Amino acid sequence: MTPTPKTDSLRPMTQVQIDQERAFVKSLEEECETYWDMVSIGDVLSRDLEVTPELVILYADAVEDYNPWYEGWRMNEWRITGASPFGGAIVPPLMISHFVLSVQFDHTKPFAIGSIHTYHDTEILAPIPIGATIRITTTATDKFIKRDRRYVRHEVSVSDVRDDTLYMREVRDILSL
Amino acid sequence: MPQDIRITRDTPIGFELTGVKKKAAIQLMGSRLWGRFNPNHWDPVYAAETGLDAPIQTGEMSSAYLAEMCVNYFGPSVFTGARMQCKYVASTYANEVITTYGVVREKTPKGDGFRFRVEIWAQNEAEEKKTTGFIEADVDV
Repeated sequence: MTPTPKTDSLRPMTQVQIDQERAFVKSLEEECETYWDMVSIGDVLSRDLEVTPELVILYADAVEDYNPWYEGWRMNEWRITGASPFGGAIVPPLMISHFVLSVQFDHTKPFAIGSIHTYHDTEILAPIPIGATIRITTTATDKFIKRDRRYVRHEVSVSDVRDDTLYMREVRDILSL
Repeated sequence: MPQDIRITRDTPIGFELTGVKKKAAIQLMGSRLWGRFNPNHWDPVYAAETGLDAPIQTGEMSSAYLAEMCVNYFGPSVFTGARMQCKYVASTYANEVITTYGVVREKTPKGDGFRFRVEIWAQNEAEEKKTTGFIEADVDV
C-alpha cells in the first residue's frame, strides 16, 4: 500500500516549516475561472519585462544551467558585463518562453489552477542582451478540443522596447480544465 | 564552452547528441521562479489530492534541459534563427532522473552551409519519454 504523502515526504522539515507550508497552500485557495472561460479568441495582452542579471541567474540556477554566457551577475563582483559570442552576457534561449505565462494569463485575475502547458513552437531570432527591457505580447488565436480535452492556443512575440528588435516568436498551447 | 562537440557542416544524418542529465529536485521545482501559485509543482499533499503520484515539474524545465543540450552542440546558432518545438507528452515527477537525447534527422543546404533538423527528447530512467520535439539551426550559413 502506498503511504499517504506528507508535506515533508520529499524534503526534511520541522513542524514549524510544515505548518507554514500548509498555511501557504491554504492561502492559495481562491475562486478562479477555467482558462477556457477566461480567454476569448482575439484577446491581446502585453507586458514589459526588464531582464535583469539577477533574474537570469534565478532562472539558470533553477534549471542548473551554468553556461557562463548567461552570467551578468557573479558573486563578489555582482553586476558584470559578462561575455558571450555576441559580446556581453545574454539570456538563455527559452527563458523568456517561461515568462510568457505571466502575460497570457491575465495577472490581475486569480490564476486558473488546473491549466497545463502542453506545447510550444519557438523561433529564437536574435540573442537578448541581459539588461534589455522586452515587450511580451500574446494573442489568443484558437480554442479547440482534441481527444475530449480543451486547449487554448496563443501566438507570442517578444521584442525590444527601445528599438523594436524582434527577439522571439512562439505558438503555445495550454490545456484547460 | 566545449568547441569540439559542436555540430559542423560535416556532421552526418544519424549523429547522436550526448545530452544532459538532471534530477527533478523538489527544491528546484518549488523555486519562486516557477511562481509557487500551483502546489502541484512542489507540495506532495496537494498533488495527491489532485490525483498525482507526486509533484510534477513545469514543462519549461524539460525545455530548458533540451535547450542546454542544443547550445552545447550548436553554440551561437541557437540564438540566431533557430526553431525549437517541444511537446510535453508525460509528466515528470519529483525525484525522477531525466536525460536529454538528440539525433540529427535532416541536413538541408542553405547559403554556404546547412540547416540541421535534430529530433530531441527527454526521458526518465525507465525510458519513458516526457518531452519530444525538434530543433532546427544553421551551421556555417
